[in-house]
Amino acid sequence: MSRLIGLGGVIAYRALFNWTSPAMFTGTLLASPLFQLLFFAYLGRQLGVADDTFYIVGNAVLSASVACVFGGTMAVANERRFGTLGHVLLSPRSRTAIFLGRVLPYALNGLLVAAFTLSAGALLLGLRIPPGAVPGLLVVLAAGSLSCGFFGLTLGAIGLRFRDVWLVSNVATSLMLLLTGVNIPLNRLPAWMGALGDLLPITHAARAARALVSGQGAVPADLGAEAVVGLGYAVTAGVLLKVFEAESRRRASLDTL
Amino acid sequence: MSAIGPGTTPATTTGVRAERAIAAGASAARVVIVGALLHVKQLSRSPFEIATAFIVPLVQATLAVYLFRAGTEPHLLLEAAVGAGLMGVWSSVLFGSGGAIQNQRWQGTLEMLMIAPRPAVLTLLPVTLANAVTGTYAMLGTLAWGWALYGITPDFRDPLGFVAAAAGCVAGLGMFGLLLAATFVLLRNANALTNTLEYPIWLVSGMLVPISALPGWTGPIAAVLPTTWGARAVREAAAGGPIWPSLAACLAIGAACLALGTLALVHVERRARVTATLALA
Repeated sequence: MSRLIGLGGVIAYRALFNWTSPAMFTGTLLASPLFQLLFFAYLGRQLGVADDTFYIVGNAVLSASVACVFGGTMAVANERRFGTLGHVLLSPRSRTAIFLGRVLPYALNGLLVAAFTLSAGALLLGLRIPPGAVPGLLVVLAAGSLSCGFFGLTLGAIGLRFRDVWLVSNVATSLMLLLTGVNIPLNRLPAWMGALGDLLPITHAARAARALVSGQGAVPADLGAEAVVGLGYAVTAGVLLKVFEAESRRRASLDTL
Repeated sequence: MSAIGPGTTPATTTGVRAERAIAAGASAARVVIVGALLHVKQLSRSPFEIATAFIVPLVQATLAVYLFRAGTEPHLLLEAAVGAGLMGVWSSVLFGSGGAIQNQRWQGTLEMLMIAPRPAVLTLLPVTLANAVTGTYAMLGTLAWGWALYGITPDFRDPLGFVAAAAGCVAGLGMFGLLLAATFVLLRNANALTNTLEYPIWLVSGMLVPISALPGWTGPIAAVLPTTWGARAVREAAAGGPIWPSLAACLAIGAACLALGTLALVHVERRARVTATLALA
């Protein structure tokens, strides 16, 4: 099982580079989140909403979302796009394990992106991160990335039923900018938006990361909340994949939806 | 139509030339307008395009409204809504231009456009203009959203100037889009550039963050971007200020982009014909 999850995930990740390229990786996953961080940091400065630390740390944690949410979505949706979904679903092994395994490389990818964005943002805007906070930050970034990956996989599972899964992913990543408290403090949003934000990945990880950078030390409650959110999406993705797979077989609509 | 023969006077010849130039200009304008309408219709048939164009700008507008409310300048909500709308226009132009030629290639219509008995610029400019026109939804949608949900009255200092500035901004950005489209087709990894350019242009053009708040070295970059001047013209129409110089600068830079884009397209077309790689370039 561990070979199926680990090796399967790595092979699927490698297959990405059938159509993407190092330049696209750099531009989309490294440069773009950094520009996003700078945009909100300058906007926040100008409006006096919060200090640079708030925006650097928050946007660095959020930067994993593009790699992980779209990666998780692609884990399912690209099988259909390249005509290999039928082969995967014909596999005698657990499809849920196959798809859950694919999230892992994307989560690692997200961790790399978030670490790069945090380092580059800190260097450019002069944020000093206490060395003692680095291990904790890595754990928090990893939790956020994994949580995002499972969230993306949930959206990808929806793609087994609905054709326009990319629309859902695009809207979801836009909403994360608004609702996760990365750019607007959650107490400045209406209560219902804050409640929605609590159900999204990144929200709790961003809070934990800010606490670590400000020297407040470990924040198990926020880290635990992020893990629960991620686990919730992993379970949801597993259930949806099973349900939609069964429905696709029943309706003979695997590649036609 | 006058005939030119041995007995034609110079005055008549000049008249005929002028007549022909006017006819050619009108014909070119017709190709661009009809082409732009066609591509707008085509974009309006894509559920993905429609839904993305509807939803994402509203999320951005909401984000801008709450950011401005949370900050020290809540009285600038109209500027926030206008800025968010401009961001949507730029996103539409950027992603539309990035895919302008690639999409035609995927649809199998690039060859048709290139063999049309018209310069390539006249068949591709409508694609980027259509994306800019579609992007105006972002502006209208954002203003309507702000008015309906957050009570931001679109109380522009110069309503007619606002319409003129918005139209000029769309035209300027459409011409800029042609330069991007022509440049992107030369780059194998144009998509990477497309994804990268969204936030920097929002930032440097002063769509939400005033240019004065940015580091000094960004000034010269901002000065040569039509987005900067277009955004300034629209903002001045909304909040008060001299619209026309900014609008003129936006259109002048847009025209320069159009000229550069035309040259780039000529180069791309020649290279693709010589190497027989139109569908692959």
